[in-house]
Amino acid sequence: MNTETAHAVTISILYTALIFLIAWYAHRRKEAGRSIVSNPIIYSLSLAVYCTSWTFYGSVGKASTTGIDFLMIYLGPSLAAFSWLFLLRRIIKISKENNITSIADFISLRYGKSLWLGALVTIIAILGIMPYIALQIKAVSHSFYLVSGLQINDITFEGLGSNTKLPIGLILALILSVFSIIFGARRLVSSERHEGLVAAVAFESLIKLLSLVGVGIFVTYGLFDGFTDIFSRFKAFDPAAFDRLFTFDASNHNPEHVPTFTMLFLAMGAIMLLPRQFHVMVIENSDEKHVSTAMWLFPAYLFLINLFVMPIALGGILTTGSNSGADFFVINIPLVTGNRSIAMLAFLGGLSAAAGMVMVESVAISTMLLNHIFMPIIVRCTPRTWFSVLLINLKRVGIFLVIMMGYVYHQIVGDSYMLVNMGLISFSAAAQFLPAMLGGLYWRRGNKAGAIGGILFGSLIWFYTLLLPSFSKSGWLPADLLTDGPFGITLLRPTALFGLSDMDLWSHSLFWSMLFNISTYIICSILLKQTEQEREQVLKFIVVYEKERTSRQTETKRLSKPVTTSQFVTLMTKFIGEAEANRAISQYTGNREINAEGTVSEFDLPNLKRHTEKTLAGSVGAAAAGAIVDSFLSDMGSRMESVYDIYSTVRTSLDQSRESLFVRLKASEIINRTLDLQIIMDDLLNLLLKEFNLDVAIIQLKNDDGTFTVNSYQGANRRPINVNHWYTESKPYFDMVYRDRKPHLLNDIRLASDVVPLELTLSEGCISCAHIPISREGEPAIGILSVFSKSIAGLFTEEFTSLLSSLSGQLAQAITIVQEMRAKDLERDQKELALLDNARVIRDMEIAQQIQLSLLPDSAPEIFGIDLAGRCISAAHVGGDYYDFFRRNEHTVDMLIADVSGHSVGAALIMAEVRTLLRAQVNSAHSASSILNILNGQLYEDLTRAELFITMFYAKYNSASGRLSYSNAGHNHPMIHRAGEVSCIELDTEGLIIGVKTSVVFEERSIELISGDVILFYTDGLTEAFDIEGEMFGNSRVCSHLGEVAHLTAREILDSLYDTVIEFTGSQTLQDDISMVVLKIK
Amino acid sequence: MIKLIFTRVMHRLQLRESWIIFFILGIIMMTFPFLHIFNKPVTLFGFPLMFLYLMIGWAFSIFVIYLFMRAYSSHNNNPDEKKDV
Repeated sequence: MNTETAHAVTISILYTALIFLIAWYAHRRKEAGRSIVSNPIIYSLSLAVYCTSWTFYGSVGKASTTGIDFLMIYLGPSLAAFSWLFLLRRIIKISKENNITSIADFISLRYGKSLWLGALVTIIAILGIMPYIALQIKAVSHSFYLVSGLQINDITFEGLGSNTKLPIGLILALILSVFSIIFGARRLVSSERHEGLVAAVAFESLIKLLSLVGVGIFVTYGLFDGFTDIFSRFKAFDPAAFDRLFTFDASNHNPEHVPTFTMLFLAMGAIMLLPRQFHVMVIENSDEKHVSTAMWLFPAYLFLINLFVMPIALGGILTTGSNSGADFFVINIPLVTGNRSIAMLAFLGGLSAAAGMVMVESVAISTMLLNHIFMPIIVRCTPRTWFSVLLINLKRVGIFLVIMMGYVYHQIVGDSYMLVNMGLISFSAAAQFLPAMLGGLYWRRGNKAGAIGGILFGSLIWFYTLLLPSFSKSGWLPADLLTDGPFGITLLRPTALFGLSDMDLWSHSLFWSMLFNISTYIICSILLKQTEQEREQVLKFIVVYEKERTSRQTETKRLSKPVTTSQFVTLMTKFIGEAEANRAISQYTGNREINAEGTVSEFDLPNLKRHTEKTLAGSVGAAAAGAIVDSFLSDMGSRMESVYDIYSTVRTSLDQSRESLFVRLKASEIINRTLDLQIIMDDLLNLLLKEFNLDVAIIQLKNDDGTFTVNSYQGANRRPINVNHWYTESKPYFDMVYRDRKPHLLNDIRLASDVVPLELTLSEGCISCAHIPISREGEPAIGILSVFSKSIAGLFTEEFTSLLSSLSGQLAQAITIVQEMRAKDLERDQKELALLDNARVIRDMEIAQQIQLSLLPDSAPEIFGIDLAGRCISAAHVGGDYYDFFRRNEHTVDMLIADVSGHSVGAALIMAEVRTLLRAQVNSAHSASSILNILNGQLYEDLTRAELFITMFYAKYNSASGRLSYSNAGHNHPMIHRAGEVSCIELDTEGLIIGVKTSVVFEERSIELISGDVILFYTDGLTEAFDIEGEMFGNSRVCSHLGEVAHLTAREILDSLYDTVIEFTGSQTLQDDISMVVLKIK
Repeated sequence: MIKLIFTRVMHRLQLRESWIIFFILGIIMMTFPFLHIFNKPVTLFGFPLMFLYLMIGWAFSIFVIYLFMRAYSSHNNNPDEKKDV
């Protein structure tokens, strides 16, 4: 090893150590939560991983051989940057939502998590990237020879034995592998950003920019005198070359010449589609807002790094005299002019460019390799605890493998191509992803078959027309393949496919591969249908960006057998380790409601499944994650099945469908059509049976005693409703639903718990059922709506349940209204009945009154010498007043007036009894007192029992003698008005009220009446009548009035007294009955 | 006056259509008819014509994107985005 070599090796090692330190520091900062990487400038610099040693060395090489068209490689990305605001940001958003790990993951996810597509993209990426990595190894090892002054390809370590030779390229490959593994595969979670790696790449981008600009300034202003000096000197040196380099020559048939448009197109695709570009742009993006800065900062970087390429190229030709070895002018010019430190700077720039690219590329590719080639095989095995260790090591092996493949390609193809043209092979491979990618983002119809077909055909053409010739050209394959075609078929010559000759290699390959790729993609997409899984992804990739999410996303799948949270944790643990798994699950449960048992609701399970998939996707890619979870579920005996929507079709739309509205409308029509509850319930159940896939529907209403009665039963299995009916098995559910006022679903009765056996229900063929409380908002349930299905398990989605709940809410409303109306009717009936009763009573009373009045004598007996009249005016309908006359003989007449206490019917009856008794007694007993005595004895029992008593005044007048003999049983004293006397004579005797004692002695008195005497017998109603001020009519008023009207007839006296009382009280109705008897002596 | 024009330009640049027009314009500028105009072996101020066209066109396009971003972030009125720019 000479001193120059040692020098170069030392600087290389020191530089590598520095990068290592930077990466380590960035990683530590990230662990501490203070990222230095997460800013738009670092992001833009990391995008500059696009500029590899191809840029660093190859641009100058191409500039000095074919001229200024090399700029197309950098103008393409600058143009593409216009689209980033929409395109790149959308890609980043989708990737972050789905934990995308690579471009293969992205494309396969879009086309229904296709395993095949992921694997295909991975293989093409690996094949396509080989030349690119080879290019880096070639460039770095070559530049190392230049700066170290070695002319052989190997370093010989003499101390280690006789012939231990190590190729520089291999050493470089190994170092890069170790570096990539340390920073790219520390952990399995590949959706996680590698900040150490990004920091290293960004730093290297800075170094290569400074280095190339440094060399540019050295050449332009150090060796020459500015741009114009170089241009004018070169023009003088070789005018023909000058013209050729600064113009595009379309007619150039040089096979190395690539048309500008081809380069522009390839570069535009490559900036997004190369695995490493996708990695730094999308996966390592920490904030999508950084894109807006990168959109101009990254093109500006490209502009700066290319500013001095042309002067260096021209300067190189001027310095060395020709354009041979132009690929390494950047190092050679300083070397030739004796500036070793500048040459070392250039070497470091080239090393940076190569190392950054190889590291990112290998990490990106190994992630794809692991997730899309290894994982699909691994997931077929039963997960074991050591899987997480296996996976991370597989990833490390992947990195190593990718770099080694590049090295092998470098060994095979060697120096037969220029750097730039080797890179273009990779670009062409990446371009094969373009149709599937753009179509996937913007074309809804694009499907899996189209994507696989397109990529497969396109890449086959690419392989045949581009990669194969590169092997062939290096002599590794027979050269006659190119000249004569396979088996001598000239039409199939790889460089002139189907006779398309005279075209450069790259345009030729690009044309055919794109033609086949795009047309296959479009034709398959149009002809074939998307699977449901693809449609789901289309929703995520396209639809959500085209219109605002209007409705809450409803799950369209359900798990046929519920899986617990801990089972998902166990599954994740096997792949990503326990700590990660627990973190993922707590992240999930953190923002959700979990019920007491730590399980999630049935409707939430698919979300948990998706979360598990997403978490796993972060480590193993979306396609593999889907396969893992699916195989796990099938092991559990569970699977995802389509949720039938309530209209028995598989759901396609998340919006409230028209059918749902139709059912609601129909239901409200039924409810409003009639007030007959039975019709409403029957019709409603029949509507449910008809519109949905239901077989039995039952409405039970709660009785007052807390039991349920089936009020309507529609559908199959009709039989008498009794305690042995199969539906009674669900009684515990009814009670629960009634109590909780929440719907209860059994989406699969077969899986229902053993606590409530539903064997009869099952044997009837029902496999799912739902019980919905019939209740109005916030009120206790009044019944239960039960529906059973025999055909579909998992019929009861959240949406369907809410529809049923809303229908039963309407029903509850209707039932309540009907019940209220019934109650009102009942009340009215009762009122009517009461009124009727009352009327009947009143009528009875009226009849009683009539009868009672008829019991009173119609007219007084005609006795000579007297004028007799009696009148009773009742206040209430019946009363207890009574008066009577008995004519004994032509001279004698008996008069009596009585008042039974109270105004009840009882009083009236007693009065009737008194009358009967009296009529019987009148003929036997003769004196007033004896009659009273007999009456008292006979009535005592009855009166005591009825709690009544009677006052009575009994008088006997003999007109021959003119004597009135009388006896009083506590009655008002009759008044006698005698002509010429102011005051009245009051008649009274000793005697108790009848009905107080069994035996009473009634005194009897007599008085002689003279002509003109007017005797008034009356009841208390007369004297006790009061006016509005509460003043009684009183005896004195009666007496004085009697005096005023004494000249009138008895009848007229009565009437006048009555009128006076009415006038006094000021009211037509009397407070009490008034009975009066007037005896006028002529 | 300049400020008014600037505001108007900024406003126009917020339109999505403007982006697409500039993108397509960029591609047209890079296709052969346009390149052909400058595809002449002459020098201008000592610089080859094609070199000048590409480099100035490129710098201009970067400037246009920069303007776009200014317009976009001021339109979105997002403090973070402004900080980025």
